[in-house]
Amino acid sequence: MRSRTLLLVFAATLFATTIATAQRGGGGGAGRGAAPAARQSAPIDLTGYWVSMITEDWKLRMVTPGKGVYDALVLNPAGRKAADSWDPATDEKSGDLCKAYGAPALMRLPTRLRITWENDNTLRIDADTGTQTRLFYFGASAPPAGEPALQGRSVAQWELAAGQRGQPAAGNLKVTTTNLKAGYIRKNGAPYSDKTTVTEYVDLHALPNGDQYISITTRVEDPVYFSRTMTNTTDFKKLPNATGWNPTPCSVR
Amino acid sequence: MDKALRHRIIGLAFLFAVMLLSIPSFAQPARPAVPTDIIGEWRLENNEDDTTAQPPLGDYTGIPFNDAGRMRSDTTPESIWGTPEYQCRPHSAPHQWRGLGGARILKEQDPLTREASVYHIQFMRSLDRPIFMDGRPHPPAWAPHTWTGFSTGQWIGNTLKITTTHLKDGYLKRGGPQTSDMYSMTEYLTRHGDILSIVTVIDDPIYMEEPYVHSTTYAYDPTSVVNTETCNASAFAENGGTNRHWVPHFLPGQNKAWTEWLKNEPWVPEVAVRGGAKTIYPEYRSTLTGGLNLAALNVPMSKSAFAPNQRVASQSPKDGQVHVMPVQGNIYMLVADGVNITASIGPDGVMLVNTGTAEMSQKVLTTLNELVNNVMASPTPNRCFGTRCPGTWGWSSPYVNAVINSPATPKPIRYIANTSGMAEHIGGNEKLASSGFFPRGGGFGTAVANPGRAASVVAHENVLVRMSTAKPPAPAAAMPTDTFFDELHKMPNFVNGEAVIFYSAPAANTDGDSLVFFRGSEVIAAGNVFSTVSYPVIELDKGGSIQGVIGGLNKILDIAVAEYRSQGGTLVIPGHGRLSDTADVASYRNMMVMIHDRIKDMVDKNMTLAQVKAARPTMDFDGRYGSTTGSWTTDMFIEAAYRSIKEKK
Repeated sequence: MRSRTLLLVFAATLFATTIATAQRGGGGGAGRGAAPAARQSAPIDLTGYWVSMITEDWKLRMVTPGKGVYDALVLNPAGRKAADSWDPATDEKSGDLCKAYGAPALMRLPTRLRITWENDNTLRIDADTGTQTRLFYFGASAPPAGEPALQGRSVAQWELAAGQRGQPAAGNLKVTTTNLKAGYIRKNGAPYSDKTTVTEYVDLHALPNGDQYISITTRVEDPVYFSRTMTNTTDFKKLPNATGWNPTPCSVR
Repeated sequence: MDKALRHRIIGLAFLFAVMLLSIPSFAQPARPAVPTDIIGEWRLENNEDDTTAQPPLGDYTGIPFNDAGRMRSDTTPESIWGTPEYQCRPHSAPHQWRGLGGARILKEQDPLTREASVYHIQFMRSLDRPIFMDGRPHPPAWAPHTWTGFSTGQWIGNTLKITTTHLKDGYLKRGGPQTSDMYSMTEYLTRHGDILSIVTVIDDPIYMEEPYVHSTTYAYDPTSVVNTETCNASAFAENGGTNRHWVPHFLPGQNKAWTEWLKNEPWVPEVAVRGGAKTIYPEYRSTLTGGLNLAALNVPMSKSAFAPNQRVASQSPKDGQVHVMPVQGNIYMLVADGVNITASIGPDGVMLVNTGTAEMSQKVLTTLNELVNNVMASPTPNRCFGTRCPGTWGWSSPYVNAVINSPATPKPIRYIANTSGMAEHIGGNEKLASSGFFPRGGGFGTAVANPGRAASVVAHENVLVRMSTAKPPAPAAAMPTDTFFDELHKMPNFVNGEAVIFYSAPAANTDGDSLVFFRGSEVIAAGNVFSTVSYPVIELDKGGSIQGVIGGLNKILDIAVAEYRSQGGTLVIPGHGRLSDTADVASYRNMMVMIHDRIKDMVDKNMTLAQVKAARPTMDFDGRYGSTTGSWTTDMFIEAAYRSIKEKK
């Protein structure tokens, strides 16, 4: 009888401990037991419609700069050589119209984004420009790498902020994309290779006027065509609805 | 060991094991409030809006400018940097993160808790920029503005949110698109490993259709060094440095060079380089391809977080209250229902420059008495100990006497200076002068009964003329008792330990304006020659003129000296609005010169007053200083400027 009591005490203690641990949640490290799905553990809500604000590099993003304009890029001699040989007619002739819409360049294009949860562990980003889709896989949900693709294979993780207990969760999204097909970092033929890795950090900010912004810090590393890592941050404003959502096909020029 | 005991031991062992498992989680210390340290040396990653070169003149792409912003930028050449007041100014706050030379972030800690109390951000061409993390409020709207403004910070998750107010007017990009001095800046600093992302929100509804949001990226680089750029103050004004009052500017439409750069970047459509909120949304491209007319284009535009007219007015609140702003040295600024009064407080008593309206005079007097008591008669802890504290008149318990000693009664108002005869500045003369005491006349040190029992009132003689010829005339007790007529008038004695000098500003707002310079405190009471909330009131029928206002502003700039980097130093108390410095006065003077020259150009072209008003020569400043209602409207100001130019012609 006494041993049964002890067993009950033990079970109750274990239960309480488990609950307490689960309630603490977060912490950034691997917790004990099954990790909650990415959707449930999201410290920020990225879903909705977003529009890119072309307030920087307007001349290089809103319109396609002339051939040979590599301002703000980090091309090495091989990259310049490849860019100098750009011929849009060739791309049009081959039907390869989306080379400037790959993951390293897509977020920098003027576009609207629609962000949804494809499933509990996959965040889906649709861009209306070029009608592109990127899938961010959390944890073990990422499929094995197959053929290199325009949007590559993106593995995502939440980076949780340190903070006081009792405060709401906060943090940002980190996405690493590999397995990319070669493409253009800029529409005027400036290249990136299939060895490129893209690392992105997505932060959510609430502005004083009530707007919400996501800022995507993008680091593009290409050992073939870049002399160093290219880094920039791109800003998107949240929209109340799908007004203005306008899927358009890729274009070369 | 019996079975029960064995079970008990096993059970306790299990319990102990479970507790041990729990301890690492429960015992971990609270996670720090500051999640990611950002201090160190940072290198600009120049992969956005190439900042290594001067932005081309007229390139407003990506900027949500309104028409006023465009006009202001088109008419302001980079050579404005050659003026004496601007040649040492640092980059404006919106451009700092984009300037060359990297950034350094330092941290001050609370010595007890080691929490970050202040971050300091430094750039090559900047002043030290403190970010206060201790929860302090921002200063009142009538406090001075600086190049880097007043910043407070707050951690939100991994991001340091910085809110900055009290910024001077400047530019968004080096040498180019302009800002007003009413904008707020919000920054979000997020560290990702060795990368620091900075999102900057510039909210300037005076010159923008919506807040301007852009981002900049830095890389951690402990080997980099943030140098400081010194200023050698050489005169390199456009005119060769021979006229210190020269204000370089373009007349509207005169700047034809703003599309020159398109020769080198021919793919950029000329129609887009003027900026505007519509141009920064993706759908703008449809107007470039001819698919849609710009006027028909709808974009999800955002609004400013504040109303600009309210922000302007808040510098000079008409709230029926008297607000006290300590200035420097002996000087305090009293904001009395929107009218500024300058008070010198010291061992001689009180000297006021202007007295506000008659309606506010009792509140001014009450506030002044409280202020004087606080400044001059507040009990202080005993600092008199032992043998170093002998009784002045022999040994008489100096320790305890120092503790129980009651401070002497503060001295009364001795002097009142009037910078003009405007009712809002002389309305309190009668009451405040009567409350004071200046030992005038009388033999053997005895004051005569009247007017010797009141404070001395000093003003230009034309103030006395205006007050005495007014219908009805001002009360005798309000009249100046001491007048001057020269361009410079010194108070005969030091006041509160410093020289006080009057400078006449002939034919400015009226024919009796003057500036009052407190030479030791380095403060100028400017009266209505200078305002931070409106165009200057010019009373043509009382001898005022726009040329005289410009002359008065130039006089202030001749007297005043900046402390460092074109800010601080001599402080200027305007007739209305916030406490200012040389750069603020220069900005106002520049505006007045630009408006004068624009209207003069129109007068020279024989344009009528109606045509001049229709041409809107003040359009780029109207959102900041103009008004369509009240006692002094933009139309009235243009008319006064027009007539004074035409009459002089």
